[in-house]
Amino acid sequence: MLKCTINGKQYAVPEGASIIEAFKLAGESLAHYCWHPALSVAGVCRMCMVSIEGNPRLQIACNTMVTEGMVISNQSHAVKDSVKWVLDFHLINHPLDCPICDQAGECGLQDQYMMFGKYTPEMAMPKQRKRKVVSLGDRVVLDSERCILCSRCVRFTEEITKTHELGIFHRGDRSEIGTFNDRPLNNNYSLNTVDICPVGALTSKKFRFRQRVWFLKEKKSICPGCCTGCNIKVSYNSKGVFRVKPDCNPDVNGYWMCDEGRDLCEKTQSVDRLLKGMSKYGEEKWQEGPALKFAKQACDDLSALPSSSVALVLTAQHTCEEFEALIQSFKSKFKSKKVYYWVNRPEDFHKFDGLLLRGDRNPNTVGLLQILEREGFKSTWSELLSDLSSGATQGVIVAAPEFPSFYPDFSEKLYELSRAKVLTCLTSRPIKDRELLPGQRWLIPLKSFLEKEGTFINYRGVQQKLGTPLELVPDAMTLSDFARILSGDWLERQVEPLGSQNVINEFMKTPMRGL
Amino acid sequence: MEVKLLSEHYHHDDFREISGYQKRGGYEALKMALKKKPQEIIDEVKNSGLRGRGGAGFPTGIKWGFLPKNGEPRYLLCNADEGEPGTFKDRVILERAPHQLIEGMIISAFAIGSHKSYIYIRGEYVKSRKILEKAIKEAYAQGFLGENILGSGFKHDLDVYSGAGAYICGEETALISSLEGKKGQPTLKPPFPAIEGYLQKPTIINNVESLASVTLISRIGSQAYRKYGTEKSPGTKLFSVSGNVCKPGTYEVPLGYPLMDLINVECGGLRTGRSLKAVIPGGSSAPVLTAEEAQKAFLTYESMAELKTMLGSGAVIVIDDSNCMVDLLHVLTHFYHHESCGQCTPCREGTGWLNKLCGTLMSGQGRLQDIELMDQVARNMMGRTICALSDAAAGPVISFVSKFRSEFEFFVREGRSKIKGGPHAQMHH
Amino acid sequence: MFRLSKKGLEFVQSEMKRYETKRSAIIPALYCAQNENDGWISQDVIAHLSEVMELPASQIHEVFEFYTMFNKRPVGKNHVQVCCNISCAMNGGRELADHILKEFSVNENEVTSDGKLSVSRVECLGSCGTAPMMQVNDDYYENLTPERAVEILKDL
Repeated sequence: MLKCTINGKQYAVPEGASIIEAFKLAGESLAHYCWHPALSVAGVCRMCMVSIEGNPRLQIACNTMVTEGMVISNQSHAVKDSVKWVLDFHLINHPLDCPICDQAGECGLQDQYMMFGKYTPEMAMPKQRKRKVVSLGDRVVLDSERCILCSRCVRFTEEITKTHELGIFHRGDRSEIGTFNDRPLNNNYSLNTVDICPVGALTSKKFRFRQRVWFLKEKKSICPGCCTGCNIKVSYNSKGVFRVKPDCNPDVNGYWMCDEGRDLCEKTQSVDRLLKGMSKYGEEKWQEGPALKFAKQACDDLSALPSSSVALVLTAQHTCEEFEALIQSFKSKFKSKKVYYWVNRPEDFHKFDGLLLRGDRNPNTVGLLQILEREGFKSTWSELLSDLSSGATQGVIVAAPEFPSFYPDFSEKLYELSRAKVLTCLTSRPIKDRELLPGQRWLIPLKSFLEKEGTFINYRGVQQKLGTPLELVPDAMTLSDFARILSGDWLERQVEPLGSQNVINEFMKTPMRGL
Repeated sequence: MEVKLLSEHYHHDDFREISGYQKRGGYEALKMALKKKPQEIIDEVKNSGLRGRGGAGFPTGIKWGFLPKNGEPRYLLCNADEGEPGTFKDRVILERAPHQLIEGMIISAFAIGSHKSYIYIRGEYVKSRKILEKAIKEAYAQGFLGENILGSGFKHDLDVYSGAGAYICGEETALISSLEGKKGQPTLKPPFPAIEGYLQKPTIINNVESLASVTLISRIGSQAYRKYGTEKSPGTKLFSVSGNVCKPGTYEVPLGYPLMDLINVECGGLRTGRSLKAVIPGGSSAPVLTAEEAQKAFLTYESMAELKTMLGSGAVIVIDDSNCMVDLLHVLTHFYHHESCGQCTPCREGTGWLNKLCGTLMSGQGRLQDIELMDQVARNMMGRTICALSDAAAGPVISFVSKFRSEFEFFVREGRSKIKGGPHAQMHH
Repeated sequence: MFRLSKKGLEFVQSEMKRYETKRSAIIPALYCAQNENDGWISQDVIAHLSEVMELPASQIHEVFEFYTMFNKRPVGKNHVQVCCNISCAMNGGRELADHILKEFSVNENEVTSDGKLSVSRVECLGSCGTAPMMQVNDDYYENLTPERAVEILKDL
């Protein structure tokens, strides 16, 4: 560790730390635009100037290493004057269109000019005009006039995705970021460029003009899109969930997440969800009813069968707590060892895109397998199928995947399972009629990952908690809720209050503008 | 008085060919050098006090000393990206004495232990490049380049690389970026090129004239070299003189020579009826000297520093009283605006701002406070960027505005130049 | 669609091996392609080079846009560049440019109707001692007067 003094206070920082890292560790604020902890040092915005005792010239904090006993300040007159001037340089050609800019409220440039009271730019002459509303592929829009050429996005496509779509073209104050010939920036990590853009130059097509950031609350969660389990921050308000950003976790996802993962939050919207309990018998029409009532009736139907003829089928898109509760409840109720699971397309299962996205599209495969192993459940899928044919298995409870789109054989499997006399499908999605054979069928609405608490264990064994739940589909339940109903202790022990924030989910109801 | 050490034979047309070069003692210095220990050559160059002739004036031998001592592969790059307005002396060397440069490069490469070097030449110098390429071919044919040079066991390859039109590539880290096939943008220091340069390998970058001078120093020895010049500015140097003199051109004089003698003796003075107004002594980025200051100036690094300007690349631009200083400054602000690479905010935005301010003055729309603002903007561009282009752009502005303020104020008040026959409205760019 | 000639392709491939890194061949490749594309570089050219060199188009485009010697629009058979930087400006470089433009009735950076000539004002070409001067394609013409310059251009 190296001792150093930052703004008059003593700190110890690790060897090899740059001054900007030391400021971060010390919790001292230091304006900066181009530096990003996960990218190479560009040293171009020139905002992070500090004075170092014994050095007559101001230095940039991002490219200067801390040495033993270094005395550093960003509070001196010289530093403040420098920051003010560099800010002026940033602003002279900036459109200052904060009122119509999505970044407003979380913009590094805005923060600084508010701090310095620079409401009018110093330059009286016409500003440099650049391209506006440039579509960079399916998800990202560029406004070059707002761009401060920090090069973070360019370094991201060079160093992180290594896809090299972005560049800075031309030179001097004619420089503009862009793609060659406006080719689309359609890599699966494109929205990270929007996240790291310190100003409103790169914005998300989906988020654009939909909400002001100061009307949004933030909830932490875990992306359910694959077994990596990227940490995420979900922005929402009473109108719905509006965007998802990665939350830095050096052990899991670093600073990034994939675009596909962000899309999953959209799929929690009510239009894609099973909102109520459903039931039908034989060729009858579906009947809709309260989830709790239907769940109880489903349990009664299952209990009427010979107890050893009931099977439980699990998928790895639920929390450890849910698996635990449901398995225990199933065991005590049916004295059956018929517990099965299935995963998405096995041929893709071990794929990896080299960055974050893994072929195992379940957030909790490790969690599920641990419990099954501990319980000693070893039944195979073919046993299940032959038992269904022979009538040895007559009732099935399926905890369907939250995102059946990752299971190409979902319909096929469900169809096979519906050979059971009584099928209770716990699902967050509506099930199509043709996916089931006739019989007694119950569909019980499940909560999405945003609506529940619990733990996912990622591919390398990192246990991660889903954050505080939101409420999106009021009637939906968790597997644990169903487990309690199955045990018959629902009435005795009410579900604990979830601290839900009563959100009505209208995500994506407003049509997208422009582009 | 001109002292032609380096340029002794430049007037012989066949000096650019290997036969003509060897006839006049060419490659003898290399033969001697290859028999020495590399450190002896480094010491000789150190002792000569040779200072980098590209503009910064950093001692060449000391620069070489920054290389790591281990045997890691290292590159020698010759900076032939002569782009500083007013400078054309490297072109003279490239076209009249390519072998002197090549010989100097082989000696230098031997001294620093480099097996590969490049001459990075500005793209516009097509003719120079052709001459150079022919000379390199000749040197290979004679065994001065390639494997086992003159039986010494030393191996060295030399190639030429053309830039494509960017002033900034004269900055050494920008030159490296350009040679690596990227935009010619300077990179952060540290790391310095001597530690991590071309392809992240230790790299030495020397100017054409510096490397040609290595040939000279190796031939005559540091003592003889030091007979000329001053303690702090030893030797002779090529000066490119342009502007309003009767005989513009490249002249070799000992450092320490009075600036006015160069103008009046070598260059034949100003045109009849004209008087001296100003001199830019070291290329366009060197702060301008008034006529009065020019009288006191000597052609040394230290004399120029005392006068708060630079000897730079030795590009002396002589300005007579027919010129409007607002107009000339606008030419320069336009240039730096055109050439800023655009990485660092103060330079990218500042060069444009300065050019707009100067243009506003030229258009007659300027306000008195704009003159003050130009000075302020320029001062705040200094010392805040990766490379020196921002400072280079600021230097002329500050010096022009402070030393010729009345001309700027006149333009604001009258909407035209103070100079008779000078510009009325914006006519350039 | 632009494609390099066989000779051009061979040149680019040899340049890719000539330097320590393939990327260093971008500048020589752009020069070569510019020569084969009537003196300027279109998006097509970059797309083609990107394929041939197996380098990201953005990298080639960055280089293309950065350097002034790569022409962004069509030029005449004789592309005239008149230096207007300080020493030339003091010796009539700007007036020289104006004169040529007027004499050939063409706007700066545009091509004469017969396709023979285009004129640009440029920054210092390192010919300050022989100002004013112009570069026509690869060649320097120095110590010019407006009349002499026009004469030279008419004789080309």
